[in-house]
Amino acid sequence: MGLLTILKKMKQKEKEVRILMLGLDNAGKTTILKKFNGEDIDTISPTLGFNIKTLEHRGFKLNIWDVGGQKSLRSYWRNYFESTDALIWVVDSADRMRLGDCKKELHTLLVEERLAGATLLVFANKQDLPGSLSAPEIREALDLNSIKTHHWLIQDCSAVTGENLLNGMDWVVNDIASRIFTMD
Amino acid sequence: MADWKGTIDVPNGTPDDLKSGVAERLQKREDERQTLLRKRREEQDDLDEKVQDSLHSFLEILKSERLSLEKSLAESSSLERSKLIDHFDALSLRVQKLQRNVSESALFLPPYELKTAQNVIVLLQSKIQETRDQLLPKKKFAFTKKQNKKPALEGKQSKDIDLNSAKNVLSKSDDDLVVEFTACKFVDRTGETLQKNANEINQKDIALVNLANCTVLLYGAPSAVHINKLNKCTIFCGPVPGSIFIRDCVECTFVLACQQLRIHSTTNTEFYIHVTSKAIIEDCNKVKFAPYNWKYDTIEEDYNSTGLSKQRNNWDKVDDFNWLVADVHSPNWSVIPSIDRVTSWKL
Repeated sequence: MGLLTILKKMKQKEKEVRILMLGLDNAGKTTILKKFNGEDIDTISPTLGFNIKTLEHRGFKLNIWDVGGQKSLRSYWRNYFESTDALIWVVDSADRMRLGDCKKELHTLLVEERLAGATLLVFANKQDLPGSLSAPEIREALDLNSIKTHHWLIQDCSAVTGENLLNGMDWVVNDIASRIFTMD
Repeated sequence: MADWKGTIDVPNGTPDDLKSGVAERLQKREDERQTLLRKRREEQDDLDEKVQDSLHSFLEILKSERLSLEKSLAESSSLERSKLIDHFDALSLRVQKLQRNVSESALFLPPYELKTAQNVIVLLQSKIQETRDQLLPKKKFAFTKKQNKKPALEGKQSKDIDLNSAKNVLSKSDDDLVVEFTACKFVDRTGETLQKNANEINQKDIALVNLANCTVLLYGAPSAVHINKLNKCTIFCGPVPGSIFIRDCVECTFVLACQQLRIHSTTNTEFYIHVTSKAIIEDCNKVKFAPYNWKYDTIEEDYNSTGLSKQRNNWDKVDDFNWLVADVHSPNWSVIPSIDRVTSWKL
């Protein structure tokens, strides 16, 4: 029995995955987390620090870490990289002015050794706003096609309406499962 | 058998005696343990108090020492040249002493205070060095070295500048993106009064970019607002159920109602706000807050359609991301005293 097999078996027993949710401030990370968990989203303040939610989804235990995206907090992101199974990158699709920043921060993360092998989901959030860019436009702006190191998917969504959040999460869970767990 | 019986202390008595003896001893040990615990707890309380005290006095000392050092440093230029070496040596020595004080206090300092203190020391050291280099240039034998150093430094600076200009170009092109795509916007205007009505902005996202000396009136309820690079502008907006994002504004006045408000790199600006969560500032300076007080004909309808709670207004609960000290108010923002507030807007 190889080490990998042992690790797989351990993970399989727990069926626990660790998901790290990052993105620029005002992207809607906390709103996605709360909406997904069925909580009230009208009272969310900008995140000073981080939120953790553990939720059951399709028999998996998802530990979702939502870390604040303010400029002054970004240097702390790396403290959360360890043993991350999936990275969810949240984008404010209506914030055209900071797409350059957004692209830069994302590509900085992707060269990070401790995130190597993590599944990458990009949420093109705020699709409820008429001025928002579509998922293909965001894909272009963030140069996602150049990513060869991670399994990735871009999913348009709206945290306010809840649209497509589940689709995105399902893909994340499937992708992790096919990597780590033997599918049931 | 009798031989060793005398030498070892074997308790003799009935089993009952033995039992009560054990119980007694156990009780005694229990009492001792409790006393010890209590003593330790008291000591701990004492210690906590001491830590609080020493933290306080540490911060006081750090502050006064920093101020006095800065003062004497500022006076350096008025001193005679012959006294300068001693003067700077004395200053360096004081900073070293301060450094030692910080290291010794590291045990009880919270991480944030420790980091701040270390920054203060680094800053002081570099300031002293700078002034020293300025007033007492190095002797001739060191000159060649300095000459070597200088071009390198300049090279680095010019590189920085290049980087900056590259960045500017980048952000410029990002701005262009806005000009191209966002339907609902005001961009690159000077000295105008700009207005949009409910049918144009309701449930839309709005961008205000590069305005100077403008007054912007948004009579309605947009879903989100992005504001960038305003100078001496006055902005009015109806209730926003989502977030308003502001950066790089100078000497403006904002009158806004929204669920989330994020303010970045903004100075000398007044905010009359209604925020149902908490406003945050980052890299801001001299920003002031007062409660929202704009009124227009259809504002009630807009409140109703957005569902923004009229009762909950946290206008004076502002989080400063550059100021994580809990018990001291951030120096970057303040509340506008009631007498200084604008009570009716002349439009």
